[in-house]
Amino acid sequence: MSTTMLRPPRNQADPRVIPWWTVQWLLLMAPIAVAAVAAYWIFTEHPLWLGAAVAVFAVACVVLALVAPRAYYRVERWEVTGEAVYTRKGWLTHTWRVAPMSRIQRVDTARGPVQRLFGLADVTVTTASSAGAVKIEGLDRAVAAELAERLTAITQATPGDAT
Amino acid sequence: MNAPGLRRQDMSAPDAGNLPGHHRDPQGSAVNTQAGWRRLAGRSLWVSGAKSLALVAGAAAGLTRFLLGQDWQAGGIVAACAGAAVLIVAAVLAYDLARLRTTRWRLTPERLELRSGLTTRQHRSLPRDRVRSVDLRADPILRIFGLTVVKVGTGEHAGDHTELKLDPLVRKDAETLRRTLLHQDEEREARDGPLAELRWSWIRYAPLSVWTFTASALVLGALYKPLNAIGLKSVTSRVANDLWGWIAAQPLTAVPLLLAVNLSVGALGAALLFAESWGRYRLEHEPGRLRLRRGLLTTRSLTLEVRRLRGVEISEPLLLRLGGGARVKTVATGLGEKARNETEDAAALAPPLPRDLAWRLAAEVASAGGAHPAGVPGSRVIAGGTALIPHPRAARRRRVVRALPATALVAAAAGVASWSAPWPWVRAWVWLIPVVVLVAGMWGAVESARNLGHALGARHLVSRRGVVVRQTVALDRKGISGWTITESYFQRRSGLLTVSATTSAGRGHYEVVDVGRETGLELASRAVPGLLEPFLVRGTTVAKQ
Repeated sequence: MSTTMLRPPRNQADPRVIPWWTVQWLLLMAPIAVAAVAAYWIFTEHPLWLGAAVAVFAVACVVLALVAPRAYYRVERWEVTGEAVYTRKGWLTHTWRVAPMSRIQRVDTARGPVQRLFGLADVTVTTASSAGAVKIEGLDRAVAAELAERLTAITQATPGDAT
Repeated sequence: MNAPGLRRQDMSAPDAGNLPGHHRDPQGSAVNTQAGWRRLAGRSLWVSGAKSLALVAGAAAGLTRFLLGQDWQAGGIVAACAGAAVLIVAAVLAYDLARLRTTRWRLTPERLELRSGLTTRQHRSLPRDRVRSVDLRADPILRIFGLTVVKVGTGEHAGDHTELKLDPLVRKDAETLRRTLLHQDEEREARDGPLAELRWSWIRYAPLSVWTFTASALVLGALYKPLNAIGLKSVTSRVANDLWGWIAAQPLTAVPLLLAVNLSVGALGAALLFAESWGRYRLEHEPGRLRLRRGLLTTRSLTLEVRRLRGVEISEPLLLRLGGGARVKTVATGLGEKARNETEDAAALAPPLPRDLAWRLAAEVASAGGAHPAGVPGSRVIAGGTALIPHPRAARRRRVVRALPATALVAAAAGVASWSAPWPWVRAWVWLIPVVVLVAGMWGAVESARNLGHALGARHLVSRRGVVVRQTVALDRKGISGWTITESYFQRRSGLLTVSATTSAGRGHYEVVDVGRETGLELASRAVPGLLEPFLVRGTTVAKQ
């Protein structure tokens, strides 16, 4: 029996996204863990079973923050050919996106404040569709700039009004 | 703010200084030849005068009630009302006069320009080659005076800033402007007769909507407050009390009777609304565009460039589907979801009409989208609704399994209720609820799976989904601007995935839901040749994910 599948895109994000995402996850998860422990300490009579549950929850938050970025790094991939931009992401739900060069209307690069510390940037490719933006996350700053330039050049060379 | 192709700037003093020259123009509302600047129709004053009477009526009612409370004599009340009426009408007329006097428009060979604004002067201009739509709208009062409101749009965005509104023009001028802007010769108009025209028998589909069951209750609720406000509180509360007494005394006659009244009022309302919205409905295929005219009291004329068309959608809400009807909508770029104060959404091409007619109309509109008549075979796929390929059995299993937790939850709630409810009749009957939920859920799951389908025509990708509203969309394959393919954990286990075609038109993305993995990928790869192909691997080798 023959099978048809989507092959994974060729490139991965820059390895530095792992620490960057870890920082992001920790910024989200650490306050939750701390809040849970604080709530236990302040508002309860310190029963042992609840203490154990809170401890497990807090540890799970931190472990998730440490593990999730690595998992996402493994599944997030991207590729740019002469004709299209192709990305894959998602862990439980896989999402593949393809946007042809001829329909690309805008190419943006963005660098957040924390992202800048790691020398990373995102490239967002927007088509005329309200649902069609394709985002390549966590590229090396130089790679992102070069990619954006290349995409813009290809897009301008392609005829059509991109709708 | 600044949409492409549209200049917008506040006017400086020298321009405003020009205007008194216009005022002395003896021609009144007619053409002012000086530099081609024209005025809006002066008859608009009569219209605003007539419309201000509604305001007068409201104010008079309020005033009368207030003065009655102050123990005024009848003569005094009449005088006060008359005074208020004169004031209101004068104010409205003065405002409208000022608006008319400060508004000028002109059509140059390159642009359509509009200067307006009482306090902030604006100069807006639209390049003529970007004009995509010229819509005319006239409510009954405007029609009495032979006027119409013209909206000229570039069709790029649905926002306000790409539209010029001329409010109002004389109807003949408006028609001329429409034709001039859309490069249309009178003889070439509507060569083949209309694509569709109203048949009053279609009104039988009008009540097939949820509003029929709820509308009269909603209207009553909405009326209750204003009636109280104008001093009829004693009447309304007495009626409500009597009604409640009647229901409590004879529930077996009162409840069915009230439901029947509710239903017939709702049905009547729906029929009236249908008549108002779709009376004189006529859809024509003019060269390069579709023209839709409709409206019994308020007439509307809408133009849609065929270039903006990316497909058609047949939408069948549950009740309408059971009644054998369907609606036809466009999938077009730059259409707003719903124009303000319109009861129909902007994409609607036809009133609810018999299903086979809907399919035929959809096929014709879809083939109108093509530059070549050779596009017709593509529409055959749309026309033959049965040609859709059903989706794998796994899709049905997925839906059935998904319906079970809801049933379990309701059953658990019913269990709690039967255990704790104080009334014995609740305990006896509560088990009916989970049974109903189970049956409805199973029906929904099976129906939903049965409605899934897709097909690939010469020009269109057709996909169908939905239970409450079944939507069949034929999307122009050239209008597909990318793919999003998703595979959730559960879909992966059943070998399914969802293929979503992104496009610049309509909702922005149209899905083929829960299609078999291979079928879906091959479909996407064939629908837009060359786009997905480089990323597919075929053969027996299982690619590492």
